[in-house]
Amino acid sequence: MSLAREVEALRTAVTLAAGDHIACVRVRGADAVETLDRVSPRALFARPGKMTHTLLLDDDARPIADVTLCCDEDDWFMLAEGLPAAAVIEYVIEHVQGRAGGLDVELDDLSHSHAMITLNGPYAWELLGELTTPDVIGLPYLGFFHADAFTCFRGGKTGEYGYDLLVERDRLAGLRDRVLTLGRRFELAEISLAALETAQLENLFWNPRKDSAPGLTPIELQLQWRVSYDREFPGSAALHRRRRTAHRRAVLLCADRELPADARVVADGRDIGGVLHTGASPTRGDWLAIAIVERALAHAGLDFTVGGVAARTLSAPAIDNRSLLVDPQRHSFATRDTDAFPPLVRR
Amino acid sequence: MTDLETRSAERAAMLDRLRHILVAQLQLGRDPDELDPDAPLFGSGLGLDSLDAVELVVCLESEFGVRVGDPVTLRQSFRSLNKMIDLIAAGRGAP
Repeated sequence: MSLAREVEALRTAVTLAAGDHIACVRVRGADAVETLDRVSPRALFARPGKMTHTLLLDDDARPIADVTLCCDEDDWFMLAEGLPAAAVIEYVIEHVQGRAGGLDVELDDLSHSHAMITLNGPYAWELLGELTTPDVIGLPYLGFFHADAFTCFRGGKTGEYGYDLLVERDRLAGLRDRVLTLGRRFELAEISLAALETAQLENLFWNPRKDSAPGLTPIELQLQWRVSYDREFPGSAALHRRRRTAHRRAVLLCADRELPADARVVADGRDIGGVLHTGASPTRGDWLAIAIVERALAHAGLDFTVGGVAARTLSAPAIDNRSLLVDPQRHSFATRDTDAFPPLVRR
Repeated sequence: MTDLETRSAERAAMLDRLRHILVAQLQLGRDPDELDPDAPLFGSGLGLDSLDAVELVVCLESEFGVRVGDPVTLRQSFRSLNKMIDLIAAGRGAP
């Protein structure tokens, strides 16, 4: 299946992908909350079944992992992208011991015993409902629950309904078979990480594998919503310093032609920044890029050139996600053609 | 001032105004400059809820004279500050 077809399935139906890019660490012990609280730039939402979207920063305040902290009664799950589980554990131990040490906490790398698969798409909720119980449609964004055979985390980074299923490795094949069988009715497509990342780019959702570079902090990357400035965390001193001097910010650009990677961004004949990453947008039928440019010009609706190609900045997200309008109480995959949704892209 | 600088300054002024309104009206407990223009407003982002959405509708009309009756347009325009600025600019006939 082509990348374009994979992304189309994600935007209009349901998709299944491996979740090997998501590291999972189980955090146990009397000081689990204290431990996570020390490394998270954002205050924890410590209610069972709730998840907190946060980051891991290095000492220069560069985001190195996209992290979700999930409160499971006394224990926690750490879901991370950008670092493998062993590196996440090493990071936590290093930063917690460095500041206090002696905490009662145990960090277990679940990557050997468990696997992750991920369901995304405007009708992912409906397939999940058949896999578990129809009650699942009431699962709020950034909530999770334990089903018989897996733990289901509702998150998603594509702008569509998204569910990550954590399953013991010896039950993975059975779960995948079941999803594929139930998925026939939803025209389920198996998709690649590249398709997930393309959708992520279309929604300007930060991708730690592509959008991290020395010198960039949550301020440049528009990730301040994952930071509480009144907290102390790894990188907080550097972040406070940057706050006083920041002069660049990320923008989303589109172009009719291929945008070269690592190109410079030019406005009115002047170099104003550089590209972080580029990619084709099958949904829009053009090219997109994330660039870091001078803050005074980091606004939507402006015309730049990127490596000599004419490009225009735009507001995120770059598409109108179908999931924004699909209401599980009123819509279903079976009625999708008659539900008269607006197009995914406004021209 | 070049055309690019003029358009950029207009967007910057609108962003600044929206940020201050949101912080004041919705009591976000954040400084205005922490509200990034493309950050999600609802869900995981700034964590706004349906009551905040009502406040935003009222604010659009009272502060910017923009009235939107179509719920689809509203949902699409409340995804980020930049999307809201697009809506306001379109309501004023700007490109």
